[in-house]
Amino acid sequence: MTLGLIAIGAGIAALCGAGAAIGMGNATGRATEAIARQPEAAGKINSSLMFGLIMMETCAVYALLVSILIVFILGAKVV
Amino acid sequence: MQLEVSLYPEPFYVGGVNVGLSVLMGWCALAIVIVGLVLLNLLVVRRMKAVPSGAQNVLELMVDGAYRWCSGKVGDSANVITPVVLTLMTYVFLTTIAEMFGLPAATQDLNCTIAIGLCVFVTVNVAGLKHHHGLKGRIKGLCSPSPIVFPIRVVTDCIAPCSVAIRLFANVMVAGIVMQLIYAVVPIALPAAFAAYFNIFDAGIQTFVIGLLTIIYTSEAIE
Repeated sequence: MTLGLIAIGAGIAALCGAGAAIGMGNATGRATEAIARQPEAAGKINSSLMFGLIMMETCAVYALLVSILIVFILGAKVV
Repeated sequence: MQLEVSLYPEPFYVGGVNVGLSVLMGWCALAIVIVGLVLLNLLVVRRMKAVPSGAQNVLELMVDGAYRWCSGKVGDSANVITPVVLTLMTYVFLTTIAEMFGLPAATQDLNCTIAIGLCVFVTVNVAGLKHHHGLKGRIKGLCSPSPIVFPIRVVTDCIAPCSVAIRLFANVMVAGIVMQLIYAVVPIALPAAFAAYFNIFDAGIQTFVIGLLTIIYTSEAIE
């Protein structure tokens, strides 16, 4: 019972990845549009895109870390 | 089989004192860097010529590229932060790529990444104070659109080292755990393909990100 609840909690924590994925898709799509409209600004657009992607990726990695810690550390305590 | 996952580094005793395995790996990376730099100094830097050739070309390309990358974003403050950025990138790359050789990565330990985060914090603030000519100008810069945002910007600046520390730690730790899981499921052939991504590519990405974050935080501090 408790183990099942821990697994559900880990799954919910990992759902944060969905939000990060939507954000990344949006940002990359908009950046591509912007570069198509103004190819000479590609360098600046790319660097700000990189910064945004890093922030989103950080968010997803936090979620992954939380879910992995829930599974291994909390799960090991129960079993 | 049982997977061992722990937030704490594996113990390693030097003269009865537990220093942790990751600290030892950090020292090894430092030793490699120092030996490499002494060799470079003896073999290349002493024999530098006005017209570069061979290894001197590569060195000048690296240093010049880093300076241009930084000064494109932070202008004159590139003189302050470029050496720190290059140093941090070398250290992060060496300690993270150690995972590929079956050694524990020093950046898998939160102690190491918090130290890196504090280095970034000090660098950013030194660059900011230098650009604004002292504390008064820096505070004025923090109040820039209106004084209401001052506390928010102070908190943002203080969160920066935590953010740098935890993101690096989480990335390296999660990559290590995922590789352990893959080894546990399929011990042959498949791990090699995934190691290319989780060990080599990830180390490169983390190296690039730590440099980029330092530059971005500096460009926020000097605006």
